[in-house]
Amino acid sequence: MSVSKRKFSSWILLVPLALLGLFGIAWWLRPHTFHGTVIQSPEPAPDFTLTAASGPVTLSNFRGKVVLLYFGYTFCPDVCPTTLANAGRALRLLGDQADEVQLIMVSVDPERDTPEKLEEYVKHFDPSFIGVTGTPEEIARVAALYGIYYEKSEESVATGYLVNHTATLMVVDREGRLKLVFPFGVTAEEIADDLHYILRR
Amino acid sequence: MMRKVFIFLALSAILLLAACQGSGAASGPAIEVEEAWGRPSPMVADAAAFYATILNRGNQDDRLLGADSPACGTIEMHESYMMDNGAMGMRPVEGGAISVPAGEQVELKPGGLHLMCLQKQSEINAGDHIPLTLHFENAGDIQVKVEIKEP
Repeated sequence: MSVSKRKFSSWILLVPLALLGLFGIAWWLRPHTFHGTVIQSPEPAPDFTLTAASGPVTLSNFRGKVVLLYFGYTFCPDVCPTTLANAGRALRLLGDQADEVQLIMVSVDPERDTPEKLEEYVKHFDPSFIGVTGTPEEIARVAALYGIYYEKSEESVATGYLVNHTATLMVVDREGRLKLVFPFGVTAEEIADDLHYILRR
Repeated sequence: MMRKVFIFLALSAILLLAACQGSGAASGPAIEVEEAWGRPSPMVADAAAFYATILNRGNQDDRLLGADSPACGTIEMHESYMMDNGAMGMRPVEGGAISVPAGEQVELKPGGLHLMCLQKQSEINAGDHIPLTLHFENAGDIQVKVEIKEP
């Protein structure tokens, strides 16, 4: 009699544990709401090779990592530093997971942005960042592959010209597919949240 | 006679003082600049940006005509904006000045209006407090410190 009672009470204990487990599984499987725009049928990200200070950089060499792809220029005072600073902070929010993320900035100002200048510029935002450039023709070809508009502005400033450009931050997944596009204005927390989800899968 | 003149003068002075006091708080522009900030900017970056919130608590419209800082060779006022094709463009502020209407506030922020610091005199680092003088059409010069930080 007393033995069966003890058995019964241990069963009672198992019920909340099982419920807790179910909640845990549900939490793990919960749908993720992306902050960026998801590309529903992701296509392979067009491959390219451009020049960094350390030598040629080929996008497909980063297969297995998640790549953040950004087109910008070092003279850019407002938009590019905002996005690059937020991306850098997103990596710091990801902690160890950041090792699996590579940001590549492609210059839309090949006339002024030398590989060395780009290198120094991007490292300011995060030491892991890579900056690449090429001939004006190479840049035009790569920008076209990604639907990136860029054009020297007719408005100039005292010390040079400005470049108007598409300022989205694109995400290429581990399999090399263009997966997600963040609009300008995305926060570090939003980038980190989406990357965390993509990296987990 | 002398007494009458004296009383007249004294009364006039009192009235004048009262008139000045009565109108003091509300008339004219009353510009306040809050939260002036900017991001760290290495020498390799040709341009840096400063942001701030400008409040006009008075009853007279004002305009920001320009700015100076010992940290910058020159400061220009620009506006980032989204172009029709979704790209981000930049243009100098319309009319060469930023309007700050009476009773309103204007926010200089990333992706919008900003002060562009050119010909930096040295690297701009987190923790710096950069002196900045803002030139207003009516309120005159207002001095602030730009806090350099990662927001």
